Amino acid sequence: MSRTGYNLRTNYLESNEVIRRPYQKVLVAMVLAVAVLLPAATSTFFVHLLNLCFLSAIGALGLMLLTGFCGQISLGHAAFLAVGAFTTVILTVHVGAPFVVVIPAAAVTGAVLGFIIGLPSLRFRGVYLAIITLAMHYTVIFLATSYQANFAKSASAGITIPDPSIGPLVIKGEYTWYYFSLVLLTLVTIWCVNLIRTRPGRAWMAIRDRDIAAEALGINLTRYKLMAFMVSSTLASVSGSLLAYYSNVVTVETYTIDLAVIYVAMIIVGGMGSILGALMGAIFMTLLPFGIDGLFSYLPREWRYGSTVFGVQVGAVGICIILFLLIEPKGLAEIWRRIETYFDRWPFRYRPLDTTRH
Amino acid sequence: MEFAATIVILTCTYALLAAGTVILYKAGRVVNFAHGELAIVGGYVFYSAGLMSGGTSLWFPVAGAVVFSIIMGMFIYMAMMRRLVGEPFYVAILVTVGIGIVLKSAILVIWRAERLTIDVGVTPAIRMAGGATLSYMDIASVVLTVAFFAGLYLFFRFTRLGVQFRGTAENALLASQRGVDVNFVLSLAWVIAILAASLSGVLYGGRAFLSTESVTIGLAGLTAALVGGLDSLRGAVAGAFIVACAQYLTVRLVDPVLSEAVPFLLLVIVMSIRPWGLFGTQEELDRV
Repeated sequence: MSRTGYNLRTNYLESNEVIRRPYQKVLVAMVLAVAVLLPAATSTFFVHLLNLCFLSAIGALGLMLLTGFCGQISLGHAAFLAVGAFTTVILTVHVGAPFVVVIPAAAVTGAVLGFIIGLPSLRFRGVYLAIITLAMHYTVIFLATSYQANFAKSASAGITIPDPSIGPLVIKGEYTWYYFSLVLLTLVTIWCVNLIRTRPGRAWMAIRDRDIAAEALGINLTRYKLMAFMVSSTLASVSGSLLAYYSNVVTVETYTIDLAVIYVAMIIVGGMGSILGALMGAIFMTLLPFGIDGLFSYLPREWRYGSTVFGVQVGAVGICIILFLLIEPKGLAEIWRRIETYFDRWPFRYRPLDTTRH
Repeated sequence: MEFAATIVILTCTYALLAAGTVILYKAGRVVNFAHGELAIVGGYVFYSAGLMSGGTSLWFPVAGAVVFSIIMGMFIYMAMMRRLVGEPFYVAILVTVGIGIVLKSAILVIWRAERLTIDVGVTPAIRMAGGATLSYMDIASVVLTVAFFAGLYLFFRFTRLGVQFRGTAENALLASQRGVDVNFVLSLAWVIAILAASLSGVLYGGRAFLSTESVTIGLAGLTAALVGGLDSLRGAVAGAFIVACAQYLTVRLVDPVLSEAVPFLLLVIVMSIRPWGLFGTQEELDRV
């Protein structure tokens, strides 16, 4: 009930709380209730959009852990998604493995690749690391392209994969996928929140803020940096695999460098160093192209040239990145925090203590 | 003979890009991930200015590209980069990534992703021994690149502004205390870098084509800069030569499909053996 500092934690018990305020518990419960009931009230297309949001949010959470919490910049997130998707293709098409085998396999492949990509992070930081992840992206995409080219002559449009099934239950159709991905996203979010409030997360934040100081405090840099890369790539790979299952088709053209930039945009728009931000950013960036598409339908027909719409969609990503970095560097999560604080303080106008909520 | 000509011309294209990257890195410790996009959009501007003037005079498109460089350079520095001093390192990088993607969308929206070839005297001009031919464009690209680097050398070595430039690169705070207009110098760095990139884009568009895919030359340029050392202009030329050789030899001897991947393989090799590049200073490297 103290109104001293919104983010001030005065004892260890408090610092372990996931949800700090009673009204926040109500809010979370309300959001979950709305999420569960939503499909009954909306169109199939909107449910489809939400599925895309939820599945890409898993990947965005992965990137958030790596960049937002561990401070390691990565421009190669699309490659991790591609790894998940192509693992799915190889296992389902060549081996005929079931869903329950494919997802762990995609996770393991992602983790292995994350380990390999994490190795340079032990020697480089900053710009150099970004360039290395970029090189990694092109190498992985090159391998995937040659795989797809050798797969079949007809595979230029993509490789089809069957619907996944867990035992007798086939995950098919927007509504089944909706509840499946909602449950999965909730579990992954809880896992991420727990990761960052326990030892690994605290180690990552220490590394992000000052790696030399972190090392002096006894944090094993090698271990925690590699761990961040592995966790991040595992989540991305699982997300890629699920997105592949969801769309039933895998083609290497999906995994462009633009996709990697979109994932970076998700965590910037959402707000660096915030789990809530990753979710908000993923939803925002996934809905953005559809929103632009919707706006274009109001324009005269001559303006709706195919490449124009696509160009504006691509450009909007860049504009979002630039504007958020310049004007609101902590993203949507910070805007939400300000709204929350305003109502929490009302009718007073005390400024909240500037302890950024990490 | 033919392979030598091809390599020289590729080297010119990459060296101009790498020089821009190096200038920007030296001036503000920013690595510009939008360099390829700037180059290609510069090429498109050159082409469109040529169309508007009716294709009679070469001065109009050249002026178009120069105006584009000045406006872009001033805008990027004044509106974005200047505000990012003191922010975490990733902010500036990600802003350039954002600029790159906006420029790519400009190609889609303004030029409708058309594949264009800039047609400025591509007819064979000189036949050399061994069956190689050089077009006016090829000769122009070599002459212009050499002129650019010579001009850059003279500028940094002998002019007052060049000295201020080097001073700012060395230590911006001290330079500004001694009366150097750091903002002017840094926006000039962006203008010069984009000018070089546009020139490179025009040369590339004359030899091959301009499209949204050709922005990958920016990554070849980045690799060239890294191979040579991010803070060395001499290294930019050497790096460009190495990248051009590697690319040409792979296409000829191994597999043309690989040509896109060559810069990255080279990058990985350089990064693991000599991360500061051939001519770079080792202290520059932000090592862990």
